[in-house]
Amino acid sequence: MGQAMGRAHRRRLVAVVAALACTAGVAACGGGSDGGSDGGDVTLTFWTHTHPPMIELNKTLIAQYEKANPNVTVEYQTIPNTEFGTKMLTALSNGTGPDVINMDDNALRGEYIPKNLLAPVDPKAFGKGSVEELEKGYAAGVLDGAKDAKGTLYGVPSELNSTAFAINTKHFRDAGLDPKKPPKTWDEVSAYGKKLVAAGHGQSFNFNYIHSGWYSQMYQTLLNQTGGSIANGSCDKATVNQPKSVATMQIWADLARNDKIADPHKASREATAPYQDLATGKQSMAIVYPWSMPQIADSNPDVYKDLSVVPLPQVDVAKPVIRWYGYDWAVNKASEEQEAAWKFIAFLSTKHDAWLSDVGFIQGQQGWTESKPAKELDDYDTWAKAYTNGKFDQVCPHWSEVQDALKAAIDKVVFDGVAPQRALDQANTQIQSSIE
Amino acid sequence: MAATSSAVPRGQAGPRRRLDARRDAVGAILAVPALVLFLAFAIWPALRVFYLSLFDYSLTAPPEWVGAGNFEFLLGSSEFHRVILNSLFYVAATYVPSVCLALGLALVLRSRMPAAGAVRLLYFVPVAMSWVAVSVIWRLVLQPDGLLNQTFGLDLNWLTTTATAKWGLVLMSVWKETGFFLILFLAGLSAIPEDLYEAAVVDGCSAWQRFVHVTLPMLKPTTAICSIMAVIRGFQAFSAQYVMTGGGFGTEVVNLYVYKTAFENARMGRASAVAVLMFFLLLLLTLLQLRLFRRDDR
Repeated sequence: MGQAMGRAHRRRLVAVVAALACTAGVAACGGGSDGGSDGGDVTLTFWTHTHPPMIELNKTLIAQYEKANPNVTVEYQTIPNTEFGTKMLTALSNGTGPDVINMDDNALRGEYIPKNLLAPVDPKAFGKGSVEELEKGYAAGVLDGAKDAKGTLYGVPSELNSTAFAINTKHFRDAGLDPKKPPKTWDEVSAYGKKLVAAGHGQSFNFNYIHSGWYSQMYQTLLNQTGGSIANGSCDKATVNQPKSVATMQIWADLARNDKIADPHKASREATAPYQDLATGKQSMAIVYPWSMPQIADSNPDVYKDLSVVPLPQVDVAKPVIRWYGYDWAVNKASEEQEAAWKFIAFLSTKHDAWLSDVGFIQGQQGWTESKPAKELDDYDTWAKAYTNGKFDQVCPHWSEVQDALKAAIDKVVFDGVAPQRALDQANTQIQSSIE
Repeated sequence: MAATSSAVPRGQAGPRRRLDARRDAVGAILAVPALVLFLAFAIWPALRVFYLSLFDYSLTAPPEWVGAGNFEFLLGSSEFHRVILNSLFYVAATYVPSVCLALGLALVLRSRMPAAGAVRLLYFVPVAMSWVAVSVIWRLVLQPDGLLNQTFGLDLNWLTTTATAKWGLVLMSVWKETGFFLILFLAGLSAIPEDLYEAAVVDGCSAWQRFVHVTLPMLKPTTAICSIMAVIRGFQAFSAQYVMTGGGFGTEVVNLYVYKTAFENARMGRASAVAVLMFFLLLLLTLLQLRLFRRDDR
């Protein structure tokens, strides 16, 4: 009797479990693996770092897209900048990453593409017959930041940043300097800086000491101008202790430490507001990107009125070199919704004007300088010129380790007073160990 | 237990044994979920770390066997040596003063001073706070224009030079950790019989002699626990270094190195090898401490 009841109980249990399993299976099938192509429900996950104006526009555009495509839901997540790289890489690696990612070109080329984590661009989603046709819509070289060594394209730019220089015109006038004659070389930055310090603006020029990504992008900005490098072209030999790279570090050391035009120890290190010192009127000069200025205009409109964007100072004015870097929209290779993901990206990428007017993101499409929001940009001429001769960074595998080594070297030189050659010799050993 | 068994009448031994066996079985069944979870989330990952330490594993490609390659790399890596030295410095500089200070404070607070309970509570507040919250607070305190420099008229860049950053972390950690050991010592002190002190007074012992010959020997088990906990807690350090310096300026400790190696650089095998080495190092240090205290007991 007891055994019979036990068997009956077991049968009921098995039936319940089987029914639940079937329901779950049906629900999973109903969740839609159709990629949105046949109108089934699609949920896309989308991660970005935190940049308040960008987040606001992303939310607006997502709402528009969901309204136009009622079968698509976009789950949007922002991740603090200091954790963004780590979280994204880990999530993509273990298969839990989002469908749509937005990531800087250093990480794309240094980590994600070599690790085979991204899906190649789907030109059909953009209404194009081929990648070549898609590329024709962008200015020359703009898409290089999202290509592998063989030229396969893995993303399109959400922002293409060229580099310029901001000066506080009020501070300049306080120091008896003419804001219409900004510094053209780093030597002049130093000379102007000394006058600004004498006029009571103690933080005349600072680099951004935030995290290793920031350190290396600032170093690379100078490195492009001296002709130095971090590794050789084939990425099998570290070269960061070679004379031109050491000269680059010497420029940094002079500006940050030896010339006493600012105290790097007192620089703000807030990743979400990297231009806090410039925006609050504490700092007089800074290396800036197009997105920097709207952020300052939003947070500190009074100081913004005093700022002017001028061309990036150079090592050799006769041979100017500007650093480009970008963030690209790309699709997780493990995504089951790749088609829908690319369609969503195609939608985002058509909103060039909104990106430029609302966030200050230039995407580098053909003829962007002729668009209405471009011409309405403050300091339009400077920005337009900054996009004529850009260069993306060289990136090697295990780039985050390389960036860590660079950061350690810069910290030693700037904050501990170690000689550039010595600091870079140590960094070179570390970088060699990472890339080989 | 034996007395209980012998009290059971001979004729009832069988049913009682069956009852015990059934109760044991129920207990074992009830323990199964916890045991399964423990095996799944503690033992299995630990074993997996040992296994992975023998592979080159980037998460995105199948693990590739390298044998002792990860260990060879680490043992020859000057960066790893620096990280170990940073950790050893942090453990020694933070926990020796914390434990000594806690002992001193416990001796003071044991006496019936006014508001001793409130003072104890104040010392324990930092222990109850999260490391991240405390680190954020201290990052502000240690700013060039922060509270510490202003209060003492100092001009130190606490967190942005190699000479001072590690001391800034030590300062914060001593403030946070002293309360933890204070509670342990207070508990240990309360277990020492007053008779011993009274006898020592009768024998003419001074306060120092009572401390050396009564308090310290009687506190040996507590001191052993504090010592072992101090080393383990010290080597577990991560949050403070991550929040306050990001591991820069000579403050990168072992756990931060593991985190960066595993999650920023996707070298899971190498990170696992560090974890394995740390496991054996901590095991060795713990056994040494146990031996040290045991030998003193004899």
